[in-house]
Amino acid sequence: MRPNQHDLDEEIRGHLAISVQERIARGEDAESARLAALKEFGNVLLTRDSMRRVWHARWLDAAAALGRDMRVGLRSLSRAKGLAITVVVTLALGIGANAAIFSVVRGVLLRPLVNRGEDRLVYIRQSAPGVGAANSTFSVPEIVDLRAAVSSIDAFGEFSTIDFTLIGFGEPRAVKAGVVDGSYFEVMGLRPVLGRLLAPSDDGPNAAGAVVLTYRFWTTALDSDPTVVGRAIGLGARTATVVGVLEPSVPYPADTEIIANIVTSPHHLGATMVTMRTHRMTELFGRLRPGASIEEARAELRAAHAAMMSSHPDAYPEKAETQLSVTPLRDQITAPARPVLLLLLVAAALVFVIACSNVANLILARSVRREGELAVRAALGATHGELRRTLLAESLVLCGFGALLGVILARPMVSVVAQFAARFSVRALEVTVDGTLLWVGAGLAMAAAVLLAFVPRLPSAHAPTGLALASGSVRMTPGTSRRLRVFATAQIAFSFVLLAGAATLLATLIAVQTAPTGYDMRRVLAVDLPMPTLGLGSPDEMNFYQQVTERIGSLPGVDGVALGNVVPWRDSEGSFGGTVSFAVEGQTPTDGEAPPRARLRVVTPGFFDVLGVPIVAGRDFTEDDRRRSEPVVIVSRRLAQQLFPDGDALNRTMWWTDPYFGKPVPRRIVGVAADVDDVNLVRDVAMTVYHPLQQMWVTGRLFVRASGDPYALVPPITRIIRDLSATQAVERAATLEDVRLEVLAPERLNAFVLAGFAGVALLIAVVGVAGVLAFGVSARTREFGVRLAVGSTPRELLLGILSEGTRIVAVGIAAGAVAAYAFAAVAGAFVASVQLPGVLPVIAAALILAGAAVAASLMPAARASRVDVLQALRSE
Amino acid sequence: MAKTPDDRRLELLQGTLDLLILRTLQWGPQHGHGIGQAIRGNSEDLLKVETGSLYPALHRLEKAGWLKSEWGTSEANQRAKFYRLTATGKAQLSREQDRWSQLVYAIGRVLNPRATGEE
Repeated sequence: MRPNQHDLDEEIRGHLAISVQERIARGEDAESARLAALKEFGNVLLTRDSMRRVWHARWLDAAAALGRDMRVGLRSLSRAKGLAITVVVTLALGIGANAAIFSVVRGVLLRPLVNRGEDRLVYIRQSAPGVGAANSTFSVPEIVDLRAAVSSIDAFGEFSTIDFTLIGFGEPRAVKAGVVDGSYFEVMGLRPVLGRLLAPSDDGPNAAGAVVLTYRFWTTALDSDPTVVGRAIGLGARTATVVGVLEPSVPYPADTEIIANIVTSPHHLGATMVTMRTHRMTELFGRLRPGASIEEARAELRAAHAAMMSSHPDAYPEKAETQLSVTPLRDQITAPARPVLLLLLVAAALVFVIACSNVANLILARSVRREGELAVRAALGATHGELRRTLLAESLVLCGFGALLGVILARPMVSVVAQFAARFSVRALEVTVDGTLLWVGAGLAMAAAVLLAFVPRLPSAHAPTGLALASGSVRMTPGTSRRLRVFATAQIAFSFVLLAGAATLLATLIAVQTAPTGYDMRRVLAVDLPMPTLGLGSPDEMNFYQQVTERIGSLPGVDGVALGNVVPWRDSEGSFGGTVSFAVEGQTPTDGEAPPRARLRVVTPGFFDVLGVPIVAGRDFTEDDRRRSEPVVIVSRRLAQQLFPDGDALNRTMWWTDPYFGKPVPRRIVGVAADVDDVNLVRDVAMTVYHPLQQMWVTGRLFVRASGDPYALVPPITRIIRDLSATQAVERAATLEDVRLEVLAPERLNAFVLAGFAGVALLIAVVGVAGVLAFGVSARTREFGVRLAVGSTPRELLLGILSEGTRIVAVGIAAGAVAAYAFAAVAGAFVASVQLPGVLPVIAAALILAGAAVAASLMPAARASRVDVLQALRSE
Repeated sequence: MAKTPDDRRLELLQGTLDLLILRTLQWGPQHGHGIGQAIRGNSEDLLKVETGSLYPALHRLEKAGWLKSEWGTSEANQRAKFYRLTATGKAQLSREQDRWSQLVYAIGRVLNPRATGEE
């Protein structure tokens, strides 16, 4: 059993007592026996220490001493609450930000996918940079050609996206669905959590409709209902059976709610899909044959692609520069997020550096105040190690609390950052707070604590000034003062980098948000009424839309109703985001010149009035522009100006030249509408051609112009549509203004995250500058007293301190500006979207920073001017 | 602190001191003072064990599991800590005795190469 101090003392006392007894028994007198026994024993304390050392290792003692020092530190910090709280909060912000970003980086970039054998999973993409198509996907004939020519890939999986109206789970609703072939799940290496996935037996036009639910849809929309397998559901006009639920996995290329077999989509079985080489809507995945390298597969696929292009030159115009890329799936999924996350990591690291240098400053200032105490301890025999241990204990206490608070702060930060990152990588959706967070937090705190303990210089026991300081007064040495200033300047510089970045982002956002769009934003309500089928234009369907328009138009508070096929900005990602080639009367493109391309829109009469877009020439569509009457179109002003420079586009004809439209149909231009941009948030001028619904039969978007509150119209509109059709989905009702805000949400989140970082940095830097100046003032109390005594005015002292603060800020901002531009230039070399910040936001950032810092230096400056002369002179 | 000379002497004595303590305790439990006296008496006053070495050695041996300690009272009715040999301590003693004999033999051979066998 390990003896305690008392046991050891008892044992020694027993020894001495026996020794004395024996001596007395031999005839010595009590006093000399006692002395002799003690003499014989030797150094009692030393012996006891050696006995103790047998049981207690030296490091245990050191740890115990550190624990004692920490308790002392805690007590002494509780007397300096302001400082302690500042340090803890500063560190918490720095540590929290880093821990949060790191969790996301780890979750998105470093963790492997759940897919079995993900290292053999490749993603094959066709792109046509010449016409701005970063992903032109594949058509069925192309996939057939590639499959036939490649041996380094074991199996291919096909995935395309389509919108269905899902009937059978509560209200009819529009869902985004993946349509896949039977080998898709096998290729992707995914497993079901319930039921089964789709297999090759689900392929072909005679298979039964089968649907797999994604894990997210199953858990959120269906409450993880275990009885869902076997349920029959309606997909538009067809029916299908739920066969299983997919395990949680990264949804790529599209975040769909269900995944169905090909037979559920009439479109996929149609001749257009199966035979037309330019009808591209399928994403292609492959699984490498064991032993085959991705380079092999790439070479083989590229060769097959080149052969395919040369045998079908009409499908691959030279100008499109069609090409093929093969990437590991994981790289493909994480690639867009990588630069953004790395930039965020840099921002977080900057915040940490700022936080640490600020804390270092505060600790440095504090240790200068403690120089007296430390000098006394050094003079009494404390070693340098022991003094460092005292400092380390204190910084450990501070950093420990900082890390604790930081980890607590990191939790909400993770969700913000994950949402932010989700825009670039779907993997961010599954990022969770995990143990790494704690480790990162603890690691950063330890690093900070050790750094901080070594910032202050220790007093030398030999230096005579050491004891002079013990009187409790504070005097700042030039070295300390320089270090304080360097730290403060560095903080300002780094904060400026962040602040300038955030200001640039905000300026861009504000510009986008306030730019005129050409639409009446507040009064127009847009509602999705997805069509059950795509573009067949059955009389029933047209009749349905006709009735919807009429009945809603007669509601009180409705100024106008129209249908379209695209809600501005919201639908720009879908199949109508692109442009289609066309030709106009009187213009024959010269050889090699690209045909003009325009956006295709389908609207009903009144559409332009409802959305507030003026018709600048000609007329609007009327009810007489119908199926069998003369084909007519309205074009945008840009198109009219560009293709009919002589000024009169009216009554000329145009026709689509894309093979999708079959035999060209000439259409007469009956009107010219003002330019609007329903795709880009930053308004761009694009050519657009509008068709009347009765001649193109693609719609699904309802626009209602309200005279009062647009949202008050949502319930009656829904009721009318339900009356007409029980299976029609009615969704996403929003004013154009709100649609735009919603589409801008990622940008706003973006600005919000960076502004958050910048705000934190600003706060820390301001605290830092104020702290340095305040410390300087308190260290120079005597000097101020003397100066006041010999005739300086308080005003002069105040201005002196302010100018000192201003100098720190000016130097910091200058250094920061250089750093910011250098950083932007370097980042710009790697990330295309990084632009050098504009002048205005940078100046704004500088002003904010300077203003805040100068305001922060007012407090210490005021204190300097209020120094009491007598007290100051007596203070030493 | 003046530890170094002590430490060195302890180092030199260590093996032997352990052996002497273990051997002394073979006759029965004894307290620290008694052990010191016994070694001194049995060596005819040639060996005098410093208390500064004895007590740390006792604790070291106890920590190693060769001794066990318990509080008791001396003949003169003084409370003292008594040490007693454990089973592993006994085994250790015989090991140390063997090693000591070998050492003595080996050193004897080196110092007196012509002598044969034990002295």
